[in-house]
Amino acid sequence: MIFVLRMALRETRSSWQRLVFFFVCLAIGVGAIVTLRSVIQSVRGVVTGEARVLIAGDVVISTGRGWTEQDRALLASWLAPGRGVQATTASLETATMVRPADRAKATARMVELRGVEAAFPLYGRVRMRGNQPYSHALLEDHGALVRPELLTQLDLAVGDAMVIGSQSFTIRGVLEGEPGGRAGGFSLGPRVLIDRAALEHAGLLGFGSRARHQIMLRVDPTRLDAYTRDLRQAFRNQFVSVRSWKSTESDIGEDLERSENYLSLVGLVVLVLGGIGVSSVTRVFVEQKLKSIAVLKCVGAGTVQILGVYMLQILVLGLAGCLLGVALARVALVAVARYAASTSPTGEPLTYGLTWPAVGQGVLIGLLVALLFSIVPLLRVRRVRPWLLLRQEDGGGGRDYLRISVAALVGVALVAVAAWQAGSWRVGLIVCGGFIAIAGVLWGAGWLLVKMMRPLRYSRWFALRHAALHLDRPGNQTRLVLLSVGLGCFFIVGVRAVQSNLLGQFSFDLAADTPDMFLIDIQQDQAAGLQAFLVPRAAGGGSPRLLPVLRARVTGVRGREVNLDSVEDVRGRGSLAREYTITYRGGLSPNERVIDGRFWDASPSAQPEVSIEQSIRDRFRIQIGDTMRFDVLGRPIEARVTSVRSVNWREVRNGGFMFVFRQGTFDQAPHSFIASMRGPVDLEARARLQRDLVTAFPNVSVIDLREVLETARSIIGTITLGVTVVGGLVLATGVLILTGAVAMTKFRRVYEAAILKTLGASTRTVGSLLLLEYGLLGLLAGLVGSWGGIGLSYAIGRWAIQITWSMPWREVGIGVAGTALLVAIVGLGASVDVLRRKPLATLRAE
Amino acid sequence: MIELRGVSRTVQSGGAPLTILHPLDLFVPAGQSLAITGPSGSGKSTLLGLIAGLDAPTSGAILIDGVDITGLGEDALARLRGAKIGFVFQFFHLIPSLTARENVLVPMELAKRRDAPRRADALLDEVGLRDRGHHYPSQLSGGEQQRVAIARALANDPPILLADEPTGNLDSANGRHVMDLLVDVNRARRTTLVLVTHDAALAAEAGAQLALRDGRPDVERSRLVQLAPPA
Repeated sequence: MIFVLRMALRETRSSWQRLVFFFVCLAIGVGAIVTLRSVIQSVRGVVTGEARVLIAGDVVISTGRGWTEQDRALLASWLAPGRGVQATTASLETATMVRPADRAKATARMVELRGVEAAFPLYGRVRMRGNQPYSHALLEDHGALVRPELLTQLDLAVGDAMVIGSQSFTIRGVLEGEPGGRAGGFSLGPRVLIDRAALEHAGLLGFGSRARHQIMLRVDPTRLDAYTRDLRQAFRNQFVSVRSWKSTESDIGEDLERSENYLSLVGLVVLVLGGIGVSSVTRVFVEQKLKSIAVLKCVGAGTVQILGVYMLQILVLGLAGCLLGVALARVALVAVARYAASTSPTGEPLTYGLTWPAVGQGVLIGLLVALLFSIVPLLRVRRVRPWLLLRQEDGGGGRDYLRISVAALVGVALVAVAAWQAGSWRVGLIVCGGFIAIAGVLWGAGWLLVKMMRPLRYSRWFALRHAALHLDRPGNQTRLVLLSVGLGCFFIVGVRAVQSNLLGQFSFDLAADTPDMFLIDIQQDQAAGLQAFLVPRAAGGGSPRLLPVLRARVTGVRGREVNLDSVEDVRGRGSLAREYTITYRGGLSPNERVIDGRFWDASPSAQPEVSIEQSIRDRFRIQIGDTMRFDVLGRPIEARVTSVRSVNWREVRNGGFMFVFRQGTFDQAPHSFIASMRGPVDLEARARLQRDLVTAFPNVSVIDLREVLETARSIIGTITLGVTVVGGLVLATGVLILTGAVAMTKFRRVYEAAILKTLGASTRTVGSLLLLEYGLLGLLAGLVGSWGGIGLSYAIGRWAIQITWSMPWREVGIGVAGTALLVAIVGLGASVDVLRRKPLATLRAE
Repeated sequence: MIELRGVSRTVQSGGAPLTILHPLDLFVPAGQSLAITGPSGSGKSTLLGLIAGLDAPTSGAILIDGVDITGLGEDALARLRGAKIGFVFQFFHLIPSLTARENVLVPMELAKRRDAPRRADALLDEVGLRDRGHHYPSQLSGGEQQRVAIARALANDPPILLADEPTGNLDSANGRHVMDLLVDVNRARRTTLVLVTHDAALAAEAGAQLALRDGRPDVERSRLVQLAPPA
């Protein structure tokens, strides 16, 4: 053992410089894993600890359609004394428009408005800017607390008045976070907190308005679990959800754990790429050490001892790489702390630091990858015969079944590592399979391209001829470099191509003369007035259309293939149980066509009829002639399915509805309208229009498509940036592998260059040869990676997000040229020695 | 000490078997020095490699100190070499990543000798390289490298020293120096020395000479060779 230790140290002393690149590769992967895990673990530590604050109670009962009589009766019994409920408070939440009371300010914004009572919050505290203490008194007499961004958007300050619905409210403070506030996700606008009674009287809650009614409870902890279970049971047939802080905590915990695991796979991919580098370097390393190994065997060392020496060396360097990775993660976390959220959704301060479990996992995986990828090439040590010291013979002929079996075991171990990281065998297998598939395609394409380069061997230009020969010489690193650099290029070009296609899609849609403002929650008595208001103000795109809408839930299906008797049964069908926005009309929209059955004519019918969208038929096997039972705002409706429509969802300006009813059923029932129109392009005119609209129709909300698109663009931008960073890491690893591969095989080039120089080649000729060789290599890597990336973007565009795909020539051009240049520069830079060395010294040393 | 019984070696060459050493009997008593000579391709190095257990014979048995090594595994052979055989190569074969002193230390560390560092210094002193111990092979001349190789071969005081053209890669002065060293070792330590050489003068210094031609002993050019242990 002491011998193994000593020899490993001595060997490391002389070879670490040649191996260092590969362990930096490991460092990048380990760094990525440790950073991602640390960030999420830091967040999880804070967020799961405050689940009670996140939902603002022990138990929260909520509904999206207002409490029905039945609900109220149930609530009365469940909130009665003796059930263990210690405190309750109700809140109401809706999205609506607000505008400054000062009419000189021509602007209006959509906000998420929440009305709370004096007992709010049961847990946690409302956080205000400047540590201003919160009390419900701030909200009394039409007081409001608002998020800082709203002040900027509406050009308001604390003390100013703003109009919500039909009432004026005074801003009394700036809100930083509140218990039960939305935890991330999509937000309709900045949050505003007012008194619940004031919200109810602001004229916002017309028929069919979207509002979330919540009752938060504090429950005797010893009875909480039973109470929650029984309460859920009691409300199981109502459209009411019951959450406890415990289930929320485990949900959040699971979500965060899943995202932590998935994100870590990104690091694992980088790490595996580094592992491929480690495998390649070990192979070359063993090749260079054949004589030393033979000498050791000659002076009495056993195979196990020699394997031990090199294995230990790999582990020592692997550990160094892992520790470097941890250091990189530490630096990355400083950057994360600067750019990521500094508080949790409820306003708890977040600190991002290295967490020990993350460090432990990162280092362990780094070492595992180093070990797994080096063991197969190292096993060649077994077959080195000391005989080669007397005769230049390769003793390693024949099939080595031990190596083949170990390679298979390593494959299984890698799947296990991926599965461990992802927390699922299935995902581990998919990731490994996907990686092998992509690597296989890149490898095959590389092989093909190298063969296609063969004619260059007959070029009259000496440097080009030899550069082409070098790509295919024995022991070349061509395929390794194509794989590692190509993979980086693949990720970056692929993601950029998807992004450019997505953005192209959005700008195309807006460029056309299409509606870009949507108005919702229009009451029946406002329809005519609103139409009159909009017509002179629309900036083209036809006159604004008002569509009647109602909100409905499916409560049962009686059909040929499916029978769903109760709400519970419908819930078993997943998304069929969600709330749908429905409409009624006498004809098809331009973006629809009937694919089954017959669409009714414009005449009303006393018998309810419904037309369903194709996906409803396909997913839930509901057929023509089946009867569907709906709950439309508390009213049960049974309708017969008479047609199936296919909707072109790309043109939803005409409205896209899963369920369309025949006229006659709802004409006389209370319902609201939505409208779409083309607003002015000028930003100020747009803001003025919104302000005027909100002034005239306070309960109507405006969704500005331009803003939504802007948000979407910025989300796409952020995601693209994120994935590009990953691609960048992969590319950086690829470049390191390239540098390492050049460094490892430099001894050959130095010798060849010496011979060429002796035979009369100038330094310039040797230089152009190297530049061409790496240029060609880069060109191939760029071609392989870019076309792979284009294939990826086509597949995503065509099948995953279904957009019109166009060839992103710019991305391909930059990808190919950039990769070729990068590889040429790195290759030449790493070979400066080859040009500088004097031939005599080199030849003597040989 | 070293005994070969009907040892032959056949390899596959271009699909056909090629016998590079025909069945040979040989006995080298303890303390003797034997030079193996012959033209290129006569089977000299093959024979030496077989004696060292670096290669396995196609037929016959090789006994070192009475132990048949032909059936031993790779690791057992390595242990045997570590304990009983020192080897000197034409191309020195020092480990380039280790210093001269460390190269000498390796066999002793493998044998877990406690006096390894002291003995390494003594051995380097003996071959006249005491001050060059911290140098890497690439910093030494050919003659110096070969002397380090001899020091390494002597590290565990092996009863047998095998040398494959130890002076073949050296100029005459360095060659002479190395040869003197080997002869001194053989005499002073009573080490059995088997050396392969092209050099007639060197061969003449050995106690016995086995000349080979086409894988067979050339009886006319051989002298004082024993084919079997004394009865």
